[in-house]
Amino acid sequence: MGHRTSRRNLRKRLALACLSLSASLFLPALTGGDASAADLALSSKTYGLYYERELAGGQKNRYAPLYEYLSTDASNIGGKPVSFHFYGWGRVDLADDSGDNGTSGEVGSLYLEYLHPEGNAQFKLGRFFMTEGAAVGILDGGFAKVTTPAGLGVSVYGGVPVEYSALDNVGGGKSVYGARVFFAKSGFVEIGASYVKENGDVSAKDLELYGGDLWLRVMNGVELTGQATYNQEASEMAHQRYAVRIVPGSTFDIAAGYESYTYKGLFRGALNPAFLSPSVNLDDKVSSIFGVLDWQFVPGWTLELSAKSLDHKEDNPGDAMRGGIGLRYAYNDRKDVAGLSAAFVSADRAENEYQEYRGFASYSPGKLRMTLDALTVQYKQAINGKDDQFQVVGTVGYQLLASLHISGNLTYTQSPDFEEDWAGLVRLNYDFGTSTGGKK
Amino acid sequence: MMRRATAVTVFGAALLALLFSCSAVSKTPSVPPKHPEDLPAGRADCLECHKDVSTGALKPYAGFRHSSVFIGSHGTYARQGQNLCSSCHVPAFCQTCHAGKEEIKPNVKTGDRPDRMAPHRGDYIATHRIDGRLDPGSCYRCHGNKSDSRCKQCHK
Repeated sequence: MGHRTSRRNLRKRLALACLSLSASLFLPALTGGDASAADLALSSKTYGLYYERELAGGQKNRYAPLYEYLSTDASNIGGKPVSFHFYGWGRVDLADDSGDNGTSGEVGSLYLEYLHPEGNAQFKLGRFFMTEGAAVGILDGGFAKVTTPAGLGVSVYGGVPVEYSALDNVGGGKSVYGARVFFAKSGFVEIGASYVKENGDVSAKDLELYGGDLWLRVMNGVELTGQATYNQEASEMAHQRYAVRIVPGSTFDIAAGYESYTYKGLFRGALNPAFLSPSVNLDDKVSSIFGVLDWQFVPGWTLELSAKSLDHKEDNPGDAMRGGIGLRYAYNDRKDVAGLSAAFVSADRAENEYQEYRGFASYSPGKLRMTLDALTVQYKQAINGKDDQFQVVGTVGYQLLASLHISGNLTYTQSPDFEEDWAGLVRLNYDFGTSTGGKK
Repeated sequence: MMRRATAVTVFGAALLALLFSCSAVSKTPSVPPKHPEDLPAGRADCLECHKDVSTGALKPYAGFRHSSVFIGSHGTYARQGQNLCSSCHVPAFCQTCHAGKEEIKPNVKTGDRPDRMAPHRGDYIATHRIDGRLDPGSCYRCHGNKSDSRCKQCHK
């Protein structure tokens, strides 16, 4: 507990320090320009849910959580290449049965960014989601990346990882830092080597990863990609993925490759017991061959195929093959899409086999929008005494104003976990922007 | 030990400042922080307007068409840089799935967009027993250290 309290205090102090530093570094830079000038975007998404859950013993609980997701992005602040980003959400429960103290929430990102107009030089300070070489995660700290005219570049980062532990008496990492060096030649190659070190609350949770990544255009429309991560603490190759992709234009895209990971190497820093013994056998390893095709064979019509083998080192869970086929049709100036798909998993063990079928469509006449989405899964071996599930989601929405859209979902589910489950959702989206431009 | 750490920090900062300066004199334009034009509905296809290679991402635009192939392997590209992504997607977009202690499934939040590839459709509590056994690495990326309390109800 003492560890947790001190770590929480450390995190708070570091977050405040980052914010203070952000303000002190960036605000003076803005005073030279027109401080009132900025491209602003504000997005508010409100979700009101209602559903019932039957607990052991036959008691029925009603849940009515109300969520607010807010994001604000201001770019070109004061006419400078500086931007500010915020994203966070909060929940308040409107029904007494919801439990969990009735509230929850988090700040997903809150940072300032400087993006130099030339050379891809970039600097971030605050809380942000980051993927860089071997590192993927949310960080309270700083990030800098530069690419020199010769193509050689470097990125460095450091701070406190934002993690949530589900393990008793074990918190998230105390600090994380790392770097990536890379060489990029425009349109031809990018190759990088990276290092990340995360210090945990206990030594077993320390992470030290070495990574390599490659993107290579071997000829027009043909790309080779690769990424590999070695876990120094576990002395194991954590993960590797190599693929060849043929994408000659805008209608055909195909990729095939090899992927593998070891449980010891990949799950070393897990803070969720689902990835630790005894839930999984840490001696296991997965190797896969995969292929994916996306082919728009007629304007508006797209065929999607996928296949992936899953070969385990251990007999339990054994090997499996996953395949899928899908057909999509885009219409109404691409505002609407209808699709059918089927997927299957065949496996050594019957308990791992299932088939999944799905159909969906949307219809958007004017300001109205309606969607229907149906999915069924057939399990070869029953789960909780039931060998299938079925779910239908219907939505109706209306564009009240240019920036305001209201919609609602009604969901019906029959599954191994829910006998007859109805759930409702009301969604209110407000999007405001002071300039044109794409934000999806 | 302390002196060594200070020396490494100072050297690192100086090197970064030098490279930053070098970058500043580069003639390669960066990706604009915001895509200047409104985007059409549906999956993005940069080739509708752009040709050949993105000066910011330094890769051909064709590779960023949002086909199912790209969506399934977008992490490979993002690990080498997110500038091109963030020109059209606000950070909140990534965190619809790559979240901290998220409570609503992405496909519930985007229920009115069934065309989007959102994970965990249907009653995924049932199916995750199988997918989790066969390919836990695909779960780990989002749930390894950003789990919510619901995991703990069964995974103790």
